[in-house]
Amino acid sequence: MAILQAQDFSERSPLYPRHVGARLGQLGNAAVVAGYGDEDESAQLQRCALIDQSNLARVGFRGSDAAEYLRARGYRLPERPNQAQPQDDGCLVARLSQSEYLLLGSLRDAGSRIQQEEAGWQLGDSANYLLPRQDSHAWLLLTGEQASEVMAKLCGVDLRAEAFPPGSVAQTSAARINVIVINAPQGELPCLQILCDRASASYFWDALLDAMAEFDGRAAGIDALL
Amino acid sequence: MTAFNRLPAPMGLLIDRDRPLAFSFDGKAYQGLQGDSIASALLANGRWLMSRSFKYHRPRGPLSLAGQDANTLVQLPDEPNALADMQALAEGLEVGGQNFAGSLDSDRDALLGHFSRFMPVGFYYRSFYKPQGIWKVWEPIIRKKAGLGVLNLKFQPEYHDKAFLFVDVAVVGAGPAGLSAALHAANTGAKVLLVEQQPYLGGALAWARFDLEGVRAGALRERLVEAVEQHPNIRILKEATCNAWFVDNFLPVIQGTRLYKVRARECIVATGAFDQPVVFRNNDLPGIMLTSAAQRLMKLYAVKPGNRAVVLTGNDDGYLAALDLHEAGVAVAAVIDLRDAPADGLLVTALQTRGIPHLPGHTVYEALHAKGMRHVSGVDVRRIVGEGQVASDAQRIDCDLLCMSAGYMPVYQLLCQAGGKLAYDDDQAAFSLSGLPRRLDVAGSVNGRYALDNVLLDGARAAGGATGRLGLGGSAEAIFAAEPRVNFDWPIFPHPDGKDFVDFDEDLQVRDIVNATRHGYRDVQLVKRFSTVGMGPSQGRHSALPTARLVARATGRSVSETGVTTARPPFVAEKLAHVAGRGFDPYRQTPMHQRHLEAGAKMMPAGVWQRPAYYGKAEERERCMQEEALHVRQKVGLIDVSTLGGLDVRGPDAAELLERLYTFAFAKQPVGRSRYALMTNEHGVVIDDGVCARFAPNHFYVTATTSGVDRLYQQMLKWNAQWRLDVDVTNVTAALAAVNLAGPDSRKVLQTLCNDLDLSAEAFPYLGVRQGTVVGIPARLLRVGFVGELGYEIHVPARYGEALWDALMAAGRAFDIRPFGVESQRLLRLEKGHVIIGQDTDGMTHPAEIDMGWAIARSKPFFVGKRSVQILEAQPLARKLVGFSLPKGASKPLEGHLVLDGDAISGSVTSCEYSRTLERIIGLAYVGSGQSAPGSHIPIRVEGGEVVQATVVELPFFDPHNQRQEL
Repeated sequence: MAILQAQDFSERSPLYPRHVGARLGQLGNAAVVAGYGDEDESAQLQRCALIDQSNLARVGFRGSDAAEYLRARGYRLPERPNQAQPQDDGCLVARLSQSEYLLLGSLRDAGSRIQQEEAGWQLGDSANYLLPRQDSHAWLLLTGEQASEVMAKLCGVDLRAEAFPPGSVAQTSAARINVIVINAPQGELPCLQILCDRASASYFWDALLDAMAEFDGRAAGIDALL
Repeated sequence: MTAFNRLPAPMGLLIDRDRPLAFSFDGKAYQGLQGDSIASALLANGRWLMSRSFKYHRPRGPLSLAGQDANTLVQLPDEPNALADMQALAEGLEVGGQNFAGSLDSDRDALLGHFSRFMPVGFYYRSFYKPQGIWKVWEPIIRKKAGLGVLNLKFQPEYHDKAFLFVDVAVVGAGPAGLSAALHAANTGAKVLLVEQQPYLGGALAWARFDLEGVRAGALRERLVEAVEQHPNIRILKEATCNAWFVDNFLPVIQGTRLYKVRARECIVATGAFDQPVVFRNNDLPGIMLTSAAQRLMKLYAVKPGNRAVVLTGNDDGYLAALDLHEAGVAVAAVIDLRDAPADGLLVTALQTRGIPHLPGHTVYEALHAKGMRHVSGVDVRRIVGEGQVASDAQRIDCDLLCMSAGYMPVYQLLCQAGGKLAYDDDQAAFSLSGLPRRLDVAGSVNGRYALDNVLLDGARAAGGATGRLGLGGSAEAIFAAEPRVNFDWPIFPHPDGKDFVDFDEDLQVRDIVNATRHGYRDVQLVKRFSTVGMGPSQGRHSALPTARLVARATGRSVSETGVTTARPPFVAEKLAHVAGRGFDPYRQTPMHQRHLEAGAKMMPAGVWQRPAYYGKAEERERCMQEEALHVRQKVGLIDVSTLGGLDVRGPDAAELLERLYTFAFAKQPVGRSRYALMTNEHGVVIDDGVCARFAPNHFYVTATTSGVDRLYQQMLKWNAQWRLDVDVTNVTAALAAVNLAGPDSRKVLQTLCNDLDLSAEAFPYLGVRQGTVVGIPARLLRVGFVGELGYEIHVPARYGEALWDALMAAGRAFDIRPFGVESQRLLRLEKGHVIIGQDTDGMTHPAEIDMGWAIARSKPFFVGKRSVQILEAQPLARKLVGFSLPKGASKPLEGHLVLDGDAISGSVTSCEYSRTLERIIGLAYVGSGQSAPGSHIPIRVEGGEVVQATVVELPFFDPHNQRQEL
């Protein structure tokens, strides 16, 4: 069987040239890093790991009708800005302002629900505007007990669990670029979902790995998350 | 000197006797132990002379042994001015002296000391400037003398970084007060950061003696340190220096190669106090050290500091130190008390029991030495008969160690940075602090508490206050026992022959300070600047208090009125590498970046973006650029324009927003068409341009310049909010990858990939816009003419950008497609006379100057800058942007070269290149209004001062009727 390559697909992560030595798997219409080597990376994730989720679906909606639109689509929305609300199917809805929402897809369905939201939206007369978050932002997952310490080397916001509990959203600057950080643990695994400018992904990836080095952190794949 | 043996355990808290380390100092081999500082290892080898003083090159040895003085500045291979008493010893370390002529042991410049009377304070302000011009002669000599150490210019920078650290309570200083505060705060549940400058916890508990038996400190330290180290709520940073206090408890803490940016909700400063020297003649000789330094040497490093010691003290602590020395096998020749009696009478009994002579009410008037001043050999002791006055009768006591302590000065630097006020208490002969901001407290000896029980209680009190304010419970209430005073009020004994140093760093004697006041510098700040007191590496740690006393007396004021000089950050010298940290220089790459690299592109920065300038080697720039441009003119080329700004403007008022922001009209713009968009600011200055593509009545896709889009986006948001329009503006610059497929064969290439759009000129004309798919990828297509050829801008979601590029390059292979870069594009657009905002415009350019009057919809009631544009247009044009050309072989003007009008400068060149298509040099330049008519000759001054005569020509240079782009 041929080895899967990122370039086998039209959709590509901005970081795929960085995934040297990775074992790839298919995620929807794109490749994703399944892991590095054949060993289970769960322990690495618990310690400190960085996963590129840029090929997992995400989309944004903004406008005075956005909340109503999303509720009608079956989403439970956060009550206040800068909060995130996990959905039963594993998706995550983050509220970025009074009238802006960010929908993050789930690995459970390979992002298909959110992908459909993006594909099915049409510009009409209602004040609900789609924001192409999958293309504007890269999506990184920083896992492990040291996640907040790693971010403290890049970002001036206190992201410790005491100050930034699960469900918190910070729209801030890290390593001098704009980022959205969401504390969304997966079970017992501490996780910071980080969305950054897609064009700066390569720069930010290196900055994060550099910050992770002292914690024995490294890139990992999604297999250990499933 | 003979080599001293190490003292037996339990002395030597920091050293590992089983791990010897070889090192060298000034070329001579020595051996130390793991845990030694350079200074302690040298002292263990009997080497006391470590440096030469700044001005008189006097021999100097360790004073504080805590990094608080300049006496141990040494040269390391990659670092000058390292503090030998702070720098950890390492195997093979090569250490050298610095600031000497000849050798450290035999410094020819030591002769300068004999001429000190000709170098009074401020002498260099009053010398070296007459006759005129003589400064240039003296300057290199003085600068050479003033420099300390040698830089290694081949030094490879080390990795330094920064990290934020968020805590509830930051405790600065891990002495007994700091440990107590940290423990009490942590016990309430607060997250505590404990910052300690030294490599050990406990502060004075680790080396000082607090009771006659000498047992309390060790046991207490053990208990406190264990509790702190095991406490889950306490994070400890050792060998870490809190280098400043900034508002809201923002604390820069340097540890190793990292600068922590600490954000503390509460801060407790427990930095302790500096042991103070006594001022007498030759008080700077090697072998004279602060009493605390001798105790550190014994307890921390197990080094016996001398064989025969004299202790000169202004408080009871000196007696306890004498007991330490005695127990370490040092013969204590005398305890000289500046006071008439100790506060605790039992101390006298303790001395008597051990046979240690006791001289109350006396002082050392002069330290004695053998030739060469390498070490103290004895002291001239006299009875004190008045403030700073001694009897004429003297007794000589031989010694090789003099321990001195006049009292303590609070380590007030951080607190004064926070706005704390110092006040001098005459009863205590000491400074106290007040006026600290909320959420900053102080504990321990820095707060004037010296008795151990009071120190511990003060730590608990400060912690209680902090945790109370944090809502964790606790109170700042405490009742303290009375304490004896620890400072002698006038430990200054001027000598008629001088060398009674107030400031060791700068070789300042008593008379230097007094003379400064006689020159009229009454304010202590002016005394500092005139005399340089306190401006050396130790920053007044030992000189501030005697200076304040001397200035107060000389000017007839109180010490409180005189005060001390301002304490500014940083607390200790910090490296630029710490301030810089790990550099963060963001860059942006397009989705096709990898393909550009694979194709051999020479990348160039465009703002923070990385873009291909051309494809080929740097040395072949001209050839590559010309070939790429020609290829676009003749066949087909592909350029990555993903960096082009892109904004989606959607909503019922989308057209209205654009009407108000841009100069052109958009209300009636048909769907499926694009329109040039020029933007001016309120002053009528051109600030950006792009195209507005209308995809729906309520949806415009607006492009903007690469460098201008972020500012434009902010402007749109600002105006949209201000005008309360019903519009959503989204910056989709990074979300859309874009290419420009340009050239006569571009349609043919695109037709092979585009099944759902009619690409014919009739169905998709110039300036048309469409939405469809290209090789199955959803795309926005715009017929544009920036390079003046048939061309299609194709904008697709970024995730597909590279696949689109691959598909176009593959489909174009049959048509000999080749990629082209930004520089080639700039040449192509120059041939068309298209202006690049920011390159061909400046902060003054208005539309009429660049012939953009056609882009203004004058019938509109309003657009930003309209009134200013009208006013500017009503004025006579002062300058105008024109096209010019020169023959092929002429000297090519560069951007910025000046256009002349007679002797005057009338403008400058903004763009210029050789065009292989036109076989001549073409360019754009601002010229005077009288020079702008086609056919005019404009003189341009080029490299080397040559003036070339260019000819003004009509624009565009190429395809004047724009037939090629409209195919």
